[in-house]
Amino acid sequence: MSEDPLTSSTFAERARVQLAKPFLREAVPRATDIAVRDLRERFAGHDYDGLRELGREIRARTMADLEDALATLTDALVANGIHVHHAADAAAAREHIRRICRESDATRVVKVKSMATEEIALNPALVADGLEVTETDLGEYVVQLDGDRPSHIIAPIIHKTRAEVRETLSRVAGRELPDDASELTDFARERLRDAFMDADVGISGANFGVAETGTIVLVTNEGNGRMCTSMPRIHIALMGIERVIPTLEDLSVMLPLITGAGTGQLITSYVSMLSGPRGEGEPDGPEAMHVVLLDNGRRALLGTEYQEVLHCIRCGACQNVCPVYRQVGGHAYGWVYGGPIGAVLTPLFLGTEAGGELPQASSLCGACDDICPVKIPLHDLLLQLRRTRVDDGAAPWRERLAAELWAWAWSSPRRYRVVTRIGGGVVRVMAAAGLMSSLGPLGRWARGRTIPTPARRPFHSRGERDV
Amino acid sequence: MSDRTQLWRMAPTELAPHEDALTRFQAELERAGGSSVSVGPGELVGEITATLAAAGAHRIALTADLGDARPVIAQALEIARYDVVDYDAIADDRAAVRDLDATVTGCLAAVAATGSIVTGATGAGRAGALVAPTHVCVVETRRLVDGLASLMRLAPRLGAGSMMALQTGPSRTADIEKTLIVGVHGPKRVHVVLLDGVLAD
Repeated sequence: MSEDPLTSSTFAERARVQLAKPFLREAVPRATDIAVRDLRERFAGHDYDGLRELGREIRARTMADLEDALATLTDALVANGIHVHHAADAAAAREHIRRICRESDATRVVKVKSMATEEIALNPALVADGLEVTETDLGEYVVQLDGDRPSHIIAPIIHKTRAEVRETLSRVAGRELPDDASELTDFARERLRDAFMDADVGISGANFGVAETGTIVLVTNEGNGRMCTSMPRIHIALMGIERVIPTLEDLSVMLPLITGAGTGQLITSYVSMLSGPRGEGEPDGPEAMHVVLLDNGRRALLGTEYQEVLHCIRCGACQNVCPVYRQVGGHAYGWVYGGPIGAVLTPLFLGTEAGGELPQASSLCGACDDICPVKIPLHDLLLQLRRTRVDDGAAPWRERLAAELWAWAWSSPRRYRVVTRIGGGVVRVMAAAGLMSSLGPLGRWARGRTIPTPARRPFHSRGERDV
Repeated sequence: MSDRTQLWRMAPTELAPHEDALTRFQAELERAGGSSVSVGPGELVGEITATLAAAGAHRIALTADLGDARPVIAQALEIARYDVVDYDAIADDRAAVRDLDATVTGCLAAVAATGSIVTGATGAGRAGALVAPTHVCVVETRRLVDGLASLMRLAPRLGAGSMMALQTGPSRTADIEKTLIVGVHGPKRVHVVLLDGVLAD
């Protein structure tokens, strides 16, 4: 992962690579359809929209005074005996975590799946320090063994076939494992059990941080989150500052939203609510607990037109319904967050230089808005990012010229008529001759689509004659 | 504007008015892949023994939240030739924890609408209900709460200690081609014994 795909290739190039994988184009829609179907099933007879509105209100109220919520959270965490660290950016967060590992003489680290740790590229830094790092979510474990990246927020190996997983795990086993998902899982379970038992430090993200009680909430199905926070002597939770929610009562709204939108479950198998290190008289648990609060570009979004993206609870639902993501998968987006949320977050976090073209990778159909459990107006944010890119002069000159010409031609009825007549005629002739693909940039656009042949007489001129 | 007093209309994690808590709990737990049975105080030990026998478990840990019933259950299991330990006595011994075939725990609460049991670091420990392939949980029916909202209101008074955990059915993953596999890092089998009475001898 030494080369950053975001700066060394374009979205179109990456998408082309992904589109050439037949399994991806079959597996991603299949898997994401199941999640969406289960969501609808679990909420049948319930007012999902009403609950989304409650979720939106909680998030909006919190973001309106995020500093206040964070101060309450910090006080409560400290009162619970938790060490709190503030990280302005990815480097600072890595440094906190490396220091904690160093000071606790750690050699082995186990990890819970966490997008925040992906965001700060934590693993390579820890490995460089000589630490043995093991991802313990089954999918993340396979991703790590392959030197790959997760391609979906919730389902990291959505892009891999069972045969590929078998190949990877067989390599670790040193023997051919059976081609059976259950037996492959059993093998990983035994391997990872060793890792849990031997680890000095468990590192997790945080699905939520409850301010009033100083509680870090982890939502998992496999149980690895709970193992990582039970067995090692140190627990470090890396939490994006926007993941704070004010009260436990708010959790009874946010939990069904994140599990419903994420996996279509009423509740996940495990929900851990962690409020400190091992207490007096408790049989197990870590000696010390640390929370690293990660800013990394989040505070800068407060008070801007993009503030609502901070409402995101990383459920992956927008990826599940996005017609672009469903075809190209997560890797085409080039960084840790894919799909509509990735197309918004990437340019905001990394700058338009690197991720500026991602908002173009959207049909603006709005399916993401309709499913988002906290009603983030993703497609408005995508449009706003496009607008900013054009205003900044970052759009390619050809694109700008085309838009200028378009605006000029269509802003007078006469020019509009002339252009549609000529344009329609050209397209009709070219399409009939099968020459659409030789139309330069228009041809590239036409290659992936069926272009309808324009009518001989435009609709408006037919109207004129009949009047 | 949404009204939180009507949360049950919106969230499937709440109980509808007049809905029977016990029936819902059992249905949701089954849906999540767990099993449950209702027993009277006289049937408790027999039910636990039978479950452990059916699971082929031999080495069993009992957690502190079984309260006064713990020594009674331990004695019965020992007579039936099980290898029985207190979880709190072996929790720091990694090898011993790894060897467990089953754990038997109590709970702080159970959530009817979701089929979840709730354990705390003080009682079952963080991992007592998690580490073994089989988990038997004794739930006194008086500990049933309606839904997540009731649980969250009650949570600060439950005395859970440094961790409170909800668990719903067995551990699961669908990472490999979306095939549902039960029993990853947590138990493969979760059996809830609903006790119509209190945990005491």
